[in-house]
Amino acid sequence: MKILVADDSRVMRQIVVRTLRQAGFGDHDLIEAADGQQALEMATKEQPDLIISDWNMPHLTGIDVLRRLRGAGNKVKFGFVTSESTAEMKTAAEEAGADFFIIKPFTAERFDEVFAPILG
Amino acid sequence: MSIEVEVDESDLAEMVEQVWESYLDPEGVSPLIPTYDENQPSEVHSSVSITGSWTGHVVYASSRAAAVRAAAAFLAMDLDEVSEDDMSDTLGELANIVGGNVKAMLPPGSQLSLPQVNLTPESSARFPNTQRIGGVYGVWEGEPVSVSMWQSRIDNKEEGA
Repeated sequence: MKILVADDSRVMRQIVVRTLRQAGFGDHDLIEAADGQQALEMATKEQPDLIISDWNMPHLTGIDVLRRLRGAGNKVKFGFVTSESTAEMKTAAEEAGADFFIIKPFTAERFDEVFAPILG
Repeated sequence: MSIEVEVDESDLAEMVEQVWESYLDPEGVSPLIPTYDENQPSEVHSSVSITGSWTGHVVYASSRAAAVRAAAAFLAMDLDEVSEDDMSDTLGELANIVGGNVKAMLPPGSQLSLPQVNLTPESSARFPNTQRIGGVYGVWEGEPVSVSMWQSRIDNKEEGA
């Protein structure tokens, strides 16, 4: 499977990728986007099976990316990894069609719990 | 008078502890040891701003050595491999993580800014019309690290005040 990691923080992209490996998902094809606009473009061009996105990014926020993808009929598995986790954000994510919501800081165990059902 | 902020120092300490457990000290061998010294020195700092139901700044500050150590832990690299960009990105992410967790504890309707990184001491930071309302101050491997909250005096007025 192809997994797109979208985060404007290079450090956090590396941590997400490393945690995916620690959780046993390192054999998948991992690609990265450095902001929301790039994530949207890569979601269309690269056709990943799973998108793990930050919420607060320049150019286009994570929720905007999700809304645009769903608006275009794209059903890719999509969820958020974010330090922000208000009830209003979770509701907005669910209403926009998000599949999961992971709060930073996170652990490999949390990744396994969320991604095992998706990635097998 | 300001509204009462719903995040206290024990909440901040818990957030900081989670960051240490997840990223900076997953083995549990080098925790942040409290000093309770809000005047401890720093050489670099990062911050995020929160606006809305509470308005102010969350500031992460440390020595340069502690910032290099944090970057090495975040990026799984040796201390001597850490570049200035690695350190800067790590500082920004640390402010973002703690700031996001602070925001999550506030009443609805707040916005979190992207992080600002400044490779100068926290004492050089200028947040006009703010006051420090709390923080976690400690040493990590003998190096100073702090996370503090600065509340705006202007935008946190009580209703009808």
